[in-house]
Parts: sequence; C-alpha cells; structure tokens
Amino acid sequence: MHGPDIQWYVVLSALLFTTGALGVMLRRNPLIILLSVEIMLNSANLLLIAMSRLHGGEDGQIFAISVMAVAASEVVVGLGLIVAMGRRNVDLDVDKLRTLRG
Amino acid sequence: MAAASWICLLLPLASAVAITLAGTAIPRRSTGYISTATTMGAFAAAVVAFADMAGKGASDRGAATTSWTWLSAGPYHFGLTLLTDQLSIVMMLIVTGVGSLIIAYSVGYMDGEDEERRFFAYMSLFVFSMLLLVQGGNLLLLLAGWGMVGLSSYLLIGYYQERESAVKAAKKAFVMNAFGDATMALALFLLVQHTGKLDYAGVFAASPHGGAVANLIALGLLGGAVAKSAQIPLHTWLPDAMEGPTPVSALIHAATMVTAGVYLIARCHPLFENAYVIADLAAGLGAATLLMAGLIALVQTDIKRVIAYSTMSQIGYMFVGAGLGAYPNAMFHLMTHAFFKALLFLAAGIAIHAVAGEQDIRKLAGVGKLMPFTKWVFLVGSLALVGIFPFAGFFSKDAIIAAALDRGWYGDVIYAACLAGAFLTGVYAFRLFFIVFTGEPSAFAREHFHSHRDQEGPISMLWTVGMLGVLSVVGGLIQFAPIWHLLSTWLDPVDAPIAEATSAQEWVTSALAILIGLAGIGVAWAMYAAKRVRVPRSVPLFEKKFYWDELYDLIWYRTGDLVARGFYALVEAPLIGGSIAAVTGVVGLGSRELSVAQNGLVRSYALALAGGLAVLTVVFLAVR
Repeated sequence: MHGPDIQWYVVLSALLFTTGALGVMLRRNPLIILLSVEIMLNSANLLLIAMSRLHGGEDGQIFAISVMAVAASEVVVGLGLIVAMGRRNVDLDVDKLRTLRG
Repeated sequence: MAAASWICLLLPLASAVAITLAGTAIPRRSTGYISTATTMGAFAAAVVAFADMAGKGASDRGAATTSWTWLSAGPYHFGLTLLTDQLSIVMMLIVTGVGSLIIAYSVGYMDGEDEERRFFAYMSLFVFSMLLLVQGGNLLLLLAGWGMVGLSSYLLIGYYQERESAVKAAKKAFVMNAFGDATMALALFLLVQHTGKLDYAGVFAASPHGGAVANLIALGLLGGAVAKSAQIPLHTWLPDAMEGPTPVSALIHAATMVTAGVYLIARCHPLFENAYVIADLAAGLGAATLLMAGLIALVQTDIKRVIAYSTMSQIGYMFVGAGLGAYPNAMFHLMTHAFFKALLFLAAGIAIHAVAGEQDIRKLAGVGKLMPFTKWVFLVGSLALVGIFPFAGFFSKDAIIAAALDRGWYGDVIYAACLAGAFLTGVYAFRLFFIVFTGEPSAFAREHFHSHRDQEGPISMLWTVGMLGVLSVVGGLIQFAPIWHLLSTWLDPVDAPIAEATSAQEWVTSALAILIGLAGIGVAWAMYAAKRVRVPRSVPLFEKKFYWDELYDLIWYRTGDLVARGFYALVEAPLIGGSIAAVTGVVGLGSRELSVAQNGLVRSYALALAGGLAVLTVVFLAVR
C-alpha cells in the first residue's frame, strides 16, 4: 500500500464537503452554488475511491463513476437553467427567486 | 269456458306488449285499431264465457282454473287462478264492453297526438289489469290487479307529461292509492295469519266472525276500497285525475277502475258481514261522500270536474248499497253508471275536442246549438244520471235507496241522505247541461268551434257515444226492482243480498226519487236556463272542496316540513355540519401556520437540510 493513510483522505473529504456545503448555504450566485454542489459530490467521490482502495474492491470506484455521470447531467441542467436566466435578464441571485414562497 | 276466460284476460296484455315492443314498426293509427280489436276480442271471449255459463244450472256456474302455483311460501300455496263466476263475468262484460267502446272512441280523440302508441299501450295495460283484478281467483291476484290498475291510472293521468299539473295529479293519485293498497295488504296478512288461505271460498269459510280481527280485516279491505273508489277520506285524487285525456277519465275514472271498491265489497261480502260495523261504516262513508260531492259539483266550473264529482257521488250510492248489504243493487248501479257516466264523459269529450280543448263551462256555454247530436246524447246521459224514468239510472239508483229502508234507524238516515243527494244530482247535472248545451253560444265557443268534416267529431267518436246512449236508455231494463230481477237472480248464488226492500217501498222510493230529481232539474232550469231565479252567491266551503286538500296539506305536508326543519336546526346543522366545519377549520389553520416555513429561499432550505443531516448524524453516533 503506497501513499498516505486513510485518515488523510477522510479529513480532506470532510474539508471539501464542508467547503461545498458552506458555499451552497452562504453564496447567492447560482453559478457558485452549482460549483459548490460539484465540490460536495467530488468530496464524496474521493471518499468512495479511498475506501475502495482500502478494502481492495472495485465497487466504490464504479460507484464514483456513476456519481460523475449524475454530476455531469446535473451540471448540464443547472447550467442550462442559469443561461436561460441570464438570457431573460433575471438577476443571478437565488434570494430573489422566491415565487415558491408559501 | 276456462279457455274463454284466459283469452279474455290475455288478449289486452298481448296488445300492450305488442304495441310496446313493435315501436315504430307499426303505424301510429294502427296501434289504436290493435288496442280496440283486442279489447273487442276480449269482450267476445267474455260473451262466450257468459253464454256457456248461462247454459248451466245456477249452482255450478262458477269455475276456477289454476294454471300453475304462482307463489309458494312454507305451507302456503297461491295459484295463478282465474275464477269465472256470476259476479266476475258481469264485471268482465262491463270492463271489456265499455272499455272497447271507449278505446274505439279514443282512436278519433287521440288522432294526431304526439304519442298515440304510448296511450294505447297504457289503455290495453289498464284493461288487462282490471280484468286481472276481477278475474283473479284469490285475494293475492286481486291485490296484484289492484296495484296494476293503480299503476296504469298513474301512467294515464300523467299522460301529458309535459304539463306540471298532470304530473302532480298523477303523483297524488298514486300516493293515495298506494295508501289503500297498503291497508289492503295488511288485511291480507291478517287473513293469511288467521286462515292460512287467500282463495275466496277458503277465506270466507275460515275467517273469524266478529271481534277485533274480523273488524281489522274488513277495515283494511275498506281502506283499499275507499282509496280506489275515491270515497271520503281518500277522495281528493279523483277530481285532479281529470288532467288525463278525456277517454281515460271515462274508462278509468268513471266506468271501471273507480268502481273496483264496490266490486271488492261485493266480492268479499262475507268478510264485511262478519264485521257489520265496518260495513255500516262503508255505507256511512258512501252517504257522506255522495252529499259532499254533490254540493261541490254545484259550484265547479270545469266540465270534467263536475262530472268527476258526480262520479264520486254515484259511487257513494254504490257504497251505500254494498255497505248495507244490497249487493246486486250496487252491482246493478255499477253497470248502469258505467254506461251513462262513460256517455257523459265522452259527450263532454266531443265538445272539448270541438272547441279547442276548452273545459271551462263559462267559455263552452251554449255550444249545444252548434252540436245537436252531442246535446241530445248529453241530455240522455244527464237524465240517466238523475234517474228519470225510463233511463238506466232510474232502475238502479232507486233500488239502492229503497234497500236502505231495510236497515233500521241507520238505514233511515242514509235513506234521507240519498234522497237529498238525488236532489243535488238533479241540480248539478242540469246546471251543467243548461249552461253548456242550451242558450246562445258564447263568443269563445263561436270563435273556436271546429267541425270535423261537417260533423261534430270523427266518426269513431260519434258511433261509440251513440252506442253508449242506447245502453244508457235500455241498460236499466234488465232489472226493475218491484217487478223483475234478472241481475239479482243471476248474482244470487255469489252475492245474496242481506238488505231487501219490499215492493211497496220500491214503488214509493221510485216515485219520491223521480219527484226529487225533477225538482232538482226544475231548480237548475229556473236558475240557469230561464234565469228566473238569481244564482245564489257561491259558498266558499264548496268552492274550496270542503278544505280537504288544505287539511291534508296541514296534517302531512306542514307537519312533515316542520319536523324536517326541526331536525335540521337541532341535529343536522350542529352535529353533522358542525363536525365538518371543525375538520376543515383545523386543517386550514394548520396549513396557514406551516406555510410560514416555506419562505422560498433556496439557501434556507439547504440550511435546513444540512442542519437536519447534522442532527441525524449526532443522533446516530450517540445512539450507537
């Protein structure tokens, strides 16, 4: 087994996840929120691959690939929405999109 | 003979079924011919049965034929039995004979109506139902026929279904008749309980004599009879039933169906003799009805309603006869009444038909000058109704009145009421005749009068009315109480009278009744033809028909309405309505409060998600 111990991967993944989650919760630009979501997904991927390597199986890696596919599709949809918003001259600010308020 | 009875019963049914199933496959006018031909065929079958019966000895004329056991319940078996005896053959002849004349008349009267097929199918159904009623060999079949004539009456009163008043009248008739059906059914339950049978001979042999049960049985049967025959207190439907077409009024509400109550008493007379109080009650109700209907008829302005009240009044006479025990006299009056009342209705129908369907006698006034034939036949009918010699009513009505003298003080009171009724009959019958058929035609009548190819009506309407006119003249001759008694002798084996007048009483009564009837005609003449006496101001009591409708409205409708309102205010509104309101209120309030959390800020949702996740993580870690 080469490379750092598993703890490092877990810590890095937790850091990345927290960064992403904070980005989602604190930033108002939908583009940044989308990036933050990507960071969260990739933190999960990192953990999946690290654990997979630790246990010597391929399940985690396969799982990571499907997460990437899902993330790519999500980005396509999300970016499409953001481009549509830009075309309509809507402010790129999620706090102003409140029409679903109860 | 059995075959003839079955043919008589089933031909009209076949006609009704055929007209119904064939639909538009047969031309409209042909339905009338089919209906007429089958009813005439039934009449021919009845004549064959009658001839066969007349050839036998008096004691073995009655014959019951059972085709199969219709209903089996435990130890009880009721067959589909036809009983053809002296009483039912008389009814069969009247129903099919008068029925075929009236249906033939309808061919002209209903020509050009929208739904002739439906009319004739109903008429055939009625004839079948009435035959089932009179031919049924046990009380169960009688009840079945009883209900079915009520149904066909309902259908025919409401024939003009687009007219609201007709629909209401049909409902009223059906509800009141259903009440009578119910009391009759209760009487039958009592009979089954106490005798275990329903066939006439078995029931009469085993039914209890006197006591509460016998009285209740007779009372139940009487309830059915008064409802069907429109006697007090279940009479208010008959005048309203005039909403039906005129031939219907003639056939069902004058000649046949409404006399079914008299037939019932005559048929079940042993049951009424076992409960003489109830029989006396029937006679008393008849006397009260004949007086009341006579008084109301004095002020009515609708030609058919006047005749309808006179029908009630005449059936009152029959109830007097049947209740006091003069059964052959009641049946005799039933027969002559069928002739002259059908005649009156159909003659009135010719006038109504010729003057644009108008029924108000003030507008029809003087139309007799334009229609001499109708005028004369109407006069014949009116004379027969009042009971002037030698017309049919004279022979039959006087016999009933005279028989009342055989029953002590109660009979004497009824005797006086009947004579007073005879006076009223003279007045109202000739009020109608003088107003409508004498004097100068009113402007309305002149303007709306239409002759039918230079005749007063289609030929089918004229010859049938002529036939009934002849019957109204000669029909009474089959029996003249003091001298010959063909009908009484014929009916004696099944309907032996228990009240008979002496010859002297018959003579005196006939003389009195004729004089009183003539006096009534004289009063009507002085008031309405010669106009020598001013017509008295009408009495509100008569105009309002003795407030029976108002009384029933008060007792049944208003009370029911009040109870319903009470339940609504005390039960429905607070309990049922209140609980539903509470549920919706709680749900509404809760969702309004919760909706505050849904502020539309995506970031706060994300925070909630993350926070929830954190809490869950902590919980899982702590629990592990």
